Amino acid sequence: MLNYIWISLIAIGILVAVGNDVRDEVQNSYRNGIPIEATVAIQKSPTSLRQTWEGDLIVNAEAFNSFYGIKTVKVEIHQPIVINMVTTGEPEASLPLGSASPDLWKEMAKAATSKEKLVGAVRSMTLAPDQRTARLQIVIEPIRFMKTKAVTQAALDYATTAVTIALGLIGIMALWLGVMKVAEEAGLLRIVTRMLTPVTKRLFPDVPTDHPAIGAMIMNIAANMLGLSNAATPLGLKAMEELNKLNPKVGTATNAMVTFLCINTGGLILIPATAIAVRASAGSANPGIIIGTSIFGAGCATVAGVVAARILQRLPRYKKDLEPEVGKEASHG
Amino acid sequence: MGDLFRALINAVSIVAIPLLLILFLGYGILKKVRVYEVFVEGAKEGFTTAIRIIPYLVAMLCAIGIFRASGALELLTTVLAPVTNLIGMPPETLPMALMRPLSGSGSLGIMTELMKVHGPDSFIGVLASTMYGSSETTFYVLAVYFGSVQIKNTRHAVPAGLIADLFGMLGAVFICRILFGV
Repeated sequence: MLNYIWISLIAIGILVAVGNDVRDEVQNSYRNGIPIEATVAIQKSPTSLRQTWEGDLIVNAEAFNSFYGIKTVKVEIHQPIVINMVTTGEPEASLPLGSASPDLWKEMAKAATSKEKLVGAVRSMTLAPDQRTARLQIVIEPIRFMKTKAVTQAALDYATTAVTIALGLIGIMALWLGVMKVAEEAGLLRIVTRMLTPVTKRLFPDVPTDHPAIGAMIMNIAANMLGLSNAATPLGLKAMEELNKLNPKVGTATNAMVTFLCINTGGLILIPATAIAVRASAGSANPGIIIGTSIFGAGCATVAGVVAARILQRLPRYKKDLEPEVGKEASHG
Repeated sequence: MGDLFRALINAVSIVAIPLLLILFLGYGILKKVRVYEVFVEGAKEGFTTAIRIIPYLVAMLCAIGIFRASGALELLTTVLAPVTNLIGMPPETLPMALMRPLSGSGSLGIMTELMKVHGPDSFIGVLASTMYGSSETTFYVLAVYFGSVQIKNTRHAVPAGLIADLFGMLGAVFICRILFGV
């Protein structure tokens, strides 16, 4: 199943990206080659040393929306602009993007020559009599294959991110695996394990009740519930390693592993700290209001996951994966 | 009541790690375990475990990254909107529900955006944050946990994990509609 989901994510992603690009090209969504009209509030005029105009490009929201055929811009746009007078040809305009720039332009810049700015050619520039403003017609550089470029970038970025995440785990993994080893040698894990035997016996019938895997799983679930994600991952990986020692078939997930994974992906947590923090920073009158609802939601997820795991593991197609195969390479479904 | 519970859990989370460290190592000494040597012995595995998960994580995150960057999520949202309207789930929260199992940072971004647009105390804001708290990033957990023990055939883990996510999202919609519904 994972094979199909994995290839679907990639194939759908690439197809949709190409489809979006074709649509953009046909509709000319980014108005390649078409001049946009705007006013410039001039702050600096050219001098003998500097052949540039600097100021703010002002486009009112309606004009911008109707030019690009969108509805999202609500306020008048004030976008910094630098116009460079070149000796031959049309003057070059450069639009450095910042917080005041419209989202569409920021989006377009991702596929532009420079990520930080859009460049364009000034078709015409008419100065007002007081030399403080000018009417402009600018053609912004052509934007093409935006989604395909984004997909390429994402694939490369995420490969790096994966390594960063994994390397970031090393220290914290070492700390908790060290502590767990001490707890194991001292027999502490066995004490924790024995206390919860009535529960674990039912959840993980294939795992001996005093196996170190049980202790690690309990510790992992407890850490998750307290929101100690730094400690939870190493403990969870320790649990997986212990569960793998009971695995009759290397490279294939056991029933206990899947049940344990489902408890983890249910994400039962007593205080959803991240969500609360985001709510508080967004100015909520009662950020903690979602504690109860989250526990309910995560409870549903956990129970459904464990029940689903228990039912699915009985299906013949999943059952046969665990049977030892003789003289044949394991199939990876 | 709710505040007391929250304060209590917060206090426990803050002292939990120091307490665990002193408890575990202290108990070890008491049981005559050579704590330093055993700790180092266990910690050695940290490096290999972290390195082992790299290929799994690269495979998973790249696929998810491509999917996110392509704009496929917006397309899926349009397709699924009629279905979610039936159960009273605002279409704005659909990207949140779809993103949650795929990417932690992605769903965090969507939640933040929804709160900025609709307000944290609006129905959409409450529902989005409940959804965020109602599930974990299934595919990340899958890649890391199974990667660490080189599991390639995941058997029923993906369907079971996705069923868990589905029920988490449905549970979030259900409870929010009952408590904060309009």
